[in-house]
Amino acid sequence: MFVAGVDVGSTTTKAVLLSDRNCVARHAMPTGVDLAAAADECLRIVCGAAGVGHDNLAALVATGYGRDRVTGVARTVTEITCHARGARALVPSARVVVDVGGQDSKVIRLDDDGMVADFVMNDKCAAGTGRFLEVMAARLNVPLEEFGMRWRKAKEAARISSTCTVFAESEVISLLSRGVVPEPIIKGLCDAVADRLAGMVHRVGLGGGVVMTGGVSRNDGVRRSLEERLSCRVTVPEEAQFAGAYGAALIAFEMASYVLSSQVRRPK
Amino acid sequence: MMHLGIPSRLRRTARRAAGRAARWAVARPEVLLRRRWAYQVASAALPLLELRGAKAYQVAAIRCVLSDFADAYLGRRPCIFTSAFVPTELVYGLGGVPFLPEAAAGLAAASDLAARSLSACEALWYSPDLCSFHRAGLGGAAAGLLPRPSAVIVTSHLCDGGKRSLFHISRLAGCPFYMLGVPYVPSDRATRWLASQIEQVAGDLARRVPGLSLEGLAQALRRSNEALAEYERVSALRRNVPAPWRGSEALNYVLLFLWSWGSPGLSPFYRALRLHLERTIAAGDFPIREERHRLLWLNLRPYYDTGVFKYLEGDCASSVAFEEYSFAYWPSLDLRDPFASLAEKMMSNFGWGPIERRLEAIARLVDEYSIDGVVQFAQWGCRQSNGGAAILATELKEKGIPFLNLDGDGVDARCGSEAQAITRLGAFIELLGARRGG
Repeated sequence: MFVAGVDVGSTTTKAVLLSDRNCVARHAMPTGVDLAAAADECLRIVCGAAGVGHDNLAALVATGYGRDRVTGVARTVTEITCHARGARALVPSARVVVDVGGQDSKVIRLDDDGMVADFVMNDKCAAGTGRFLEVMAARLNVPLEEFGMRWRKAKEAARISSTCTVFAESEVISLLSRGVVPEPIIKGLCDAVADRLAGMVHRVGLGGGVVMTGGVSRNDGVRRSLEERLSCRVTVPEEAQFAGAYGAALIAFEMASYVLSSQVRRPK
Repeated sequence: MMHLGIPSRLRRTARRAAGRAARWAVARPEVLLRRRWAYQVASAALPLLELRGAKAYQVAAIRCVLSDFADAYLGRRPCIFTSAFVPTELVYGLGGVPFLPEAAAGLAAASDLAARSLSACEALWYSPDLCSFHRAGLGGAAAGLLPRPSAVIVTSHLCDGGKRSLFHISRLAGCPFYMLGVPYVPSDRATRWLASQIEQVAGDLARRVPGLSLEGLAQALRRSNEALAEYERVSALRRNVPAPWRGSEALNYVLLFLWSWGSPGLSPFYRALRLHLERTIAAGDFPIREERHRLLWLNLRPYYDTGVFKYLEGDCASSVAFEEYSFAYWPSLDLRDPFASLAEKMMSNFGWGPIERRLEAIARLVDEYSIDGVVQFAQWGCRQSNGGAAILATELKEKGIPFLNLDGDGVDARCGSEAQAITRLGAFIELLGARRGG
């Protein structure tokens, strides 16, 4: 039985195809402006990679801010529930999930059964999100992929506002104009994001394994800054970017299994 | 549809004229609100509203607001601006008409008029960090959208922004400003001290403002008690599962709840609402038939057009079963001792004083209304409710009640994101669903 989950995020659309509970294909691509087309294309690619017809999916669950634009879904589920399910499946010891996406960040507290016990999300500003880092990377002319390496080279961190993306960008320009090299600025930016995330973690309660998911989890600088603030290890699974889509696929699998078992039990 | 033999060309012309009039009214509300004929036309159109499907309580509410607006804008009675928790019985009792700029801000947001008021306030050097209800109220006064006050009364309790913005309004209008100092900790002595202030303010207003006197105070208190008795029946009916009334609509009438105690129109409104709820329950014709979850809503709501409640009540089949600001927390007023009674009403506000009072009130509402989860609408710039969010969350968590702090803004649509609010509410509903095992 094949099921799929698709996570239409503000920056990236991700799809995961499961055969029973096992991941057989996954794909990520820029969301662009046509959310429905991005979801369709992403699903077409994962189905094509596994040689499965789109119509042969037993269930499809969509999540992410563009979830309502996806056609042919069995259900839409919020990112919070999907990231919780995905992260728990990827890292069974997970109790706190820190998901930082393009336009928002969320911290989810899991109960012993892996269900969402509590969650908080970033407030009105983009500071503390992937978009914040994208803006700064563009200003510094440093690819986001290099942030982790540059973070490690930095001897100290520049002090940067974590309140507002526009203020922070002004501060970065000011630092560059004073001749400050990018490394301490990058460390300061990662610290600013981690400051916001650590506050959110403490709101839901630190305890148990901390897992980071979402696009920003690939930024090793933010992970290290967060570890410093929480004084604990922050695990980033290899499939961290796909946690939401994976969680959606797992929910699709449960739905399809339930339907199947109902049909089996139904007297003829 | 019947057209009574009116030629289609004439109908099109009439429709175009009506459209032009509506656009003109939206563009120049300050002119329309000061025209006697506008109220005459609106009053004459009320029966048509019922014919077009409006409920009797909705028409009663509009009648109540129209009457006060006509009195205030046409200068038929002295208009007294007040902050939200001044007992309006005092103003009606003096023969005046109360006007609450912060409640009017909610109406402005609902009518898509808030942007102009907010801009006018920003031009007066006020930071967008101040609560938008107060900013839009002050901006509305500065832009000439509000009636001219004869006096301003504020209280020291709850909203700090309210007393400062209303002080500014009194300076713009050049009218007397009164502040009732509400002691933080309730006691008999504190109530007596507050009662003496109310009496002093009432006496001073009766002397200084032509048209005001203390003669009608007993009648205003009697009307308030009548309305309270009806309202308590309404509140009792709302305990029904499923909820007999949409919380999104109930949150609209919070503005009337703050504004109209002591007015002749409030008791008929609550009576009509009670009858409506009784009929709804008897017929089983609930707005959400398969009610999945019952929420308690703290603080106000976004009053501008938003899809948040359509999502909550429609897609999530979840009710706002009751609202913090719909809780009538005070006892019946004592006509023999009106000032002490009004003071007691103010002192019994559970939002004032130690936070334990608010926590107790919320716990009581959670029990009485069979609440599954509590949502606090974290109004941008609201210190009095947001300040206690952490303690509230902890307290509710200990009782096993999930809590969501939902960031947003009731008046300034620029300060909130509908998509993000929907995601947060959706996740909260999923959390409630998971607790029920599915």
